[in-house]
Amino acid sequence: MFDSSFPSYPLKQAVLNDLLISLGQNRALWAPRTGPDGLCRLQSVSEKELPGLASSTFIPLKKMLLPPREAVWLHRAGHFHTVEEPEPFAVVGVPLCDLQAIWYLDQVFADDEIYQSRRAQLFLVGMACEPGPGCRCDEQLMPLTGDIFIGQERVWAISALGDTLLRETGFGSPATDVPLPWPEGPAEKRHDLSEEQFYSALDAPVWTEEGKRCLSCGACSVVCPTCYCFDMLDEVALDGTVTRHRVWDNCFFAEHGEVAGGYDFRPGRANRLRFRMEHKFFGFGTLRGQNSCVGCGRCSKVCPVDIDLDQIAEQLVGGAVS
Amino acid sequence: MNDVLRPMTAILEQVVPMLVDNSLFTFLPKTSIPVAPGQFVEISIPGVGSFPVSACDLVQDRRIVSCIRRTGRVTEALYNLEVGDAIGIRGPFGNGFPLDLFDGKDALLIAGGLGMAPLRALLRALLDDHERQGKVVLLYGSREPGSLLFYDELVELSRQGRVDVRFSVDFAETLPGSSSNVFCRIGLVNELLSDLDFTPGKTVAVVCGPPALYRCVLEELALIGMSAVNIFATLERRMRCGVGECCHCVAGGKYVCKDGPVFTLEQLRSMVGAI
Repeated sequence: MFDSSFPSYPLKQAVLNDLLISLGQNRALWAPRTGPDGLCRLQSVSEKELPGLASSTFIPLKKMLLPPREAVWLHRAGHFHTVEEPEPFAVVGVPLCDLQAIWYLDQVFADDEIYQSRRAQLFLVGMACEPGPGCRCDEQLMPLTGDIFIGQERVWAISALGDTLLRETGFGSPATDVPLPWPEGPAEKRHDLSEEQFYSALDAPVWTEEGKRCLSCGACSVVCPTCYCFDMLDEVALDGTVTRHRVWDNCFFAEHGEVAGGYDFRPGRANRLRFRMEHKFFGFGTLRGQNSCVGCGRCSKVCPVDIDLDQIAEQLVGGAVS
Repeated sequence: MNDVLRPMTAILEQVVPMLVDNSLFTFLPKTSIPVAPGQFVEISIPGVGSFPVSACDLVQDRRIVSCIRRTGRVTEALYNLEVGDAIGIRGPFGNGFPLDLFDGKDALLIAGGLGMAPLRALLRALLDDHERQGKVVLLYGSREPGSLLFYDELVELSRQGRVDVRFSVDFAETLPGSSSNVFCRIGLVNELLSDLDFTPGKTVAVVCGPPALYRCVLEELALIGMSAVNIFATLERRMRCGVGECCHCVAGGKYVCKDGPVFTLEQLRSMVGAI
């Protein structure tokens, strides 16, 4: 269990409008918007275009903090130079599960200067959402992060900065005993899979079966709000400047577990599918033991062959539902 | 928090060929990078890429010496550089070998192929520690006599009686040693254990080599009577970041770059897919 109580203020629409306008005065504003193609994306918006509810974007919020391709250094005239400092920005209309995902990435990249310099510039506004099919969010999974959360009747201060802003804008006095409005009864239950169950079933038939179906396309990792693995790629400009980029990588790709000389520590699709599930359910390094599947449902929606990690978990635990 | 992904400039100061496609590279970084035996650095060649590599000697006057095999795109580019050229270097990363554990214990080092490189740094540290009590045994297996790294140096250490060196090779037309008292036999490196007179309870073992070596040697050492917490192996992975972020090196839920690359057999037993 962790402390998830935040001060909250009664919502005053006019005051809220002032606050959102002031947010946009010295920050770029971003919000989820659904395009004519039916896909919801984070887009640059004006303060008049801000949403009233959160939406689940096809590509999650991680792309704002860990862009698919970002420069980490420049090499020019024999020196390794730092990259430009990011500008302030705000993302408005983020669902609670995605606020958990950012908390998780904050832990992974706690010592990463480039991530943290972007993170320090981000003002994060959560909003209530309407859970859809496949949603399996869980308030108790992990803490969440952000600055303010806007509900239907109240506004919550998640960070000290958010609290200062709410007080200064004129929201009055806070209550401390109103819980965040997590969706009641998400559409689907999650399956509790223990490490012991997972490791004692490494040769279970489900791995062979799902490994045969998996296309190793990596779409699930791309849309996962807590997947973060990356590769390094150099780009040489005509003037000789070299930019080293950090680019999204994917543990489904064949060379992900290879070493020099071609030896592969994770050969085969079943092996790589199991590796991803191990990461999601049990975590790596100091985050061992932390399930990082926030239950957003993006991976199972995007999978072209309908692989769902939770259904694999169900088979591994023998159908026991938590 | 610091800028962990940005390297510092280092000069390629010396290249000493050892075997075909295996050379000793000396790098001189701007400020000292204290790479302990078993730790590693990331070498960057701007415009080409980077690779992780351990040091095969102790850092002296800022100089880092690594034995690097020409085996991929970036090492190929390194081999094409000239002495005096600049590269990028960052580190040190990883935990390194447990030097304190060797106090008052015998050291059993077991190397396979290029695994000799990081163990040579450990060997240097052990021999440099004049306070240390206990003998040093090195079992080193390679494909053939001509592919043994640091051969002359190891033979000399053996002749001086400072290290009990025993080689094994997969095949050989003629075995070295009959004239110079070098112990070398045809076979696998774990077969050298049967001829060895050592006290399992008084020994710390470190193994470095390809996965096949770990699968046959580590549990054999435990069977002989060594404690699984005194048997160490260092894992090879292609670490991109070195700081527990990029996920390429993960084995058994641990970042090999940060939680390792040196693990005890006790740890490895619960790390699925590590070896």
